Amino acid sequence: MIRIAFRILLHDAAKYLALVLGIAFATLLIGQQSAIFHSVVQSSTREILEASEADIWVMKPSVETLDQTDPMAELAVNRVRSVPGVAWAVPYYQAIAQLKTADGRSKSVTIIGVDETSLVAAPRTMLIGSLADLARPDAIFVDAAGFSTIFPDTPLATGATVEIGQRRAHVVGISHVGPSWTGLPRIHTRRSIAIEMARETINPVSYVLARAAPGHAPADVARAISAATGLQAHSSDGFRIQTQNWVLKYSGVAENFGITILMGVVIGVAIVGQTFYMFSIENLRQFAALKAIGVANHRILGMISIQALFVSVVGFCIGIGVASLFFAIFSPQLTGGLRGMFMHPAIFIGTGFFIVLITLISCLISVRRVLTVDPAIVFRS
Amino acid sequence: MSGVVCQQVAIEFPSAAGPIKVLKGVDFEARPGELTMLVGPSGCGKTTLISVIAGLLRGATGSVNVFGQQVTSLSNRQLVPFRLANIGFIFQQYNLLAGLSVIENAAVPLVAAGSPWPDALDAARDLLNTLGLTPHLTKLPRQLSGGQQQRVAIARALVHKPRLLLCDEPTAALDGKSGQAVMGLLRDLAVSPDRAAIVVTHDPRVYAYANRIAHMEDGLLVNVEEVLPAQLATTH
Repeated sequence: MIRIAFRILLHDAAKYLALVLGIAFATLLIGQQSAIFHSVVQSSTREILEASEADIWVMKPSVETLDQTDPMAELAVNRVRSVPGVAWAVPYYQAIAQLKTADGRSKSVTIIGVDETSLVAAPRTMLIGSLADLARPDAIFVDAAGFSTIFPDTPLATGATVEIGQRRAHVVGISHVGPSWTGLPRIHTRRSIAIEMARETINPVSYVLARAAPGHAPADVARAISAATGLQAHSSDGFRIQTQNWVLKYSGVAENFGITILMGVVIGVAIVGQTFYMFSIENLRQFAALKAIGVANHRILGMISIQALFVSVVGFCIGIGVASLFFAIFSPQLTGGLRGMFMHPAIFIGTGFFIVLITLISCLISVRRVLTVDPAIVFRS
Repeated sequence: MSGVVCQQVAIEFPSAAGPIKVLKGVDFEARPGELTMLVGPSGCGKTTLISVIAGLLRGATGSVNVFGQQVTSLSNRQLVPFRLANIGFIFQQYNLLAGLSVIENAAVPLVAAGSPWPDALDAARDLLNTLGLTPHLTKLPRQLSGGQQQRVAIARALVHKPRLLLCDEPTAALDGKSGQAVMGLLRDLAVSPDRAAIVVTHDPRVYAYANRIAHMEDGLLVNVEEVLPAQLATTH
């Protein structure tokens, strides 16, 4: 009966295409928007992701999210180092400052001051220059996307001199980093320079980045740091989740993307449900003939379920293929808001399950008419 | 062996003006080895009667016995395999599955009964060859004429060797010549000693193919006419 189900389905190419394209469109909308949502939320934790050497973040108890820093005294670094289970700990500084170009243009930037000796949290990928260049006097790295907003229509290059917080700095490297939550250009430099750029009068630390000693779980060591110092400490994953939860709760991004994804669901259900319903109604006489011949309802249900499963898988493949192509084109770009965005495997699989589910539900709603059709209608002309 | 025996079969349908009695106590018999025609004006209950005999229409009173099985006592669940094993249908509008080829359409009842496709296609091919459809086996129904489509429907109705064949106006959508040809094939292939065939028709031109003609009027069987062998139409 599977062969019959496929023949009925594929016989009317226009209706089959309408079904498949409807599902593909719903898949595209749901999969792509979910992936962008995930990438945007993930961008709120960009610095945590990129400081992959550290697996513990220590901060003041008042800090709720990554960008909401509350400076600590430098002494905090040694206090963290003294906690058993800590392999190493380094200071990290982050602030927003004003950058001025030689021709007088001004731009807000995020300055990230990394530990002078270890360079923990410095960018991993350099497009121009190398990590060692950060040791040069007045050295800063600018991320590629940020460079194009600071110096529009200028090819990526080092050598420019800028002023940040009335302190002169030389661009000695161009880094490639993912988009950040604020969207501001990101300047990496040594912490001592960053503090001067932010015009701090003391010697503050935004975060202490630490690593758990071998054999110690970061979450356990973070708890020990909190207990010993009174500071707030999390594993990288824990701080990432805390930051993402804050963003989801206060930024409105969940509501915005939620509405779009919900629209995808509604459109998907509407298109698939309506098309399947019409498809079933138009084939009602054929199904009635099968019922009259002696094909049981459960076999007809099986046939229609196979049709639904097939179109949902084909539609999903097309939709997710287009979404993947979208990310394949935009993700590797050095500039633009979509750079670095990607589709997490969980979104890929989740979208697939969801599409199959809504297609089967739509088909089961429409199949009621087929199952209750009076087979005697085949005797009516 | 009894074929189809209906006794005092009655059924009514609800309507805004009150229940309408469509069958009012019909006594009817279709014997094995014979082609019985059910004739009468539109609305007299012919199609309703064969729907009750096939178990497609429930709620009738009286007795409907099909080759020893009381159809009215079967549940819906029991009726499905009963129809599949015992009854072949030929409809006025053919009701072939549009996406299936001629040979696949003819094989459907066997596949539905659990036969593997290759076996079912072999049986369908044999029958379609007999019906003169050899050049059209892989065509779709819409590529055939009405007469050819009805021949495919005959093959589908007979492929699983049912004991009862029910035909509803099989020639109504056909021109005179095609109608005669279809009836001739029905007589040749459908009528056998262990099978009964009931044909509902309005078309007096095909009466000559019947062994018996049962006349219905206003929900009642009013007359049964035996056709002498000498009066039977000769075929091919």
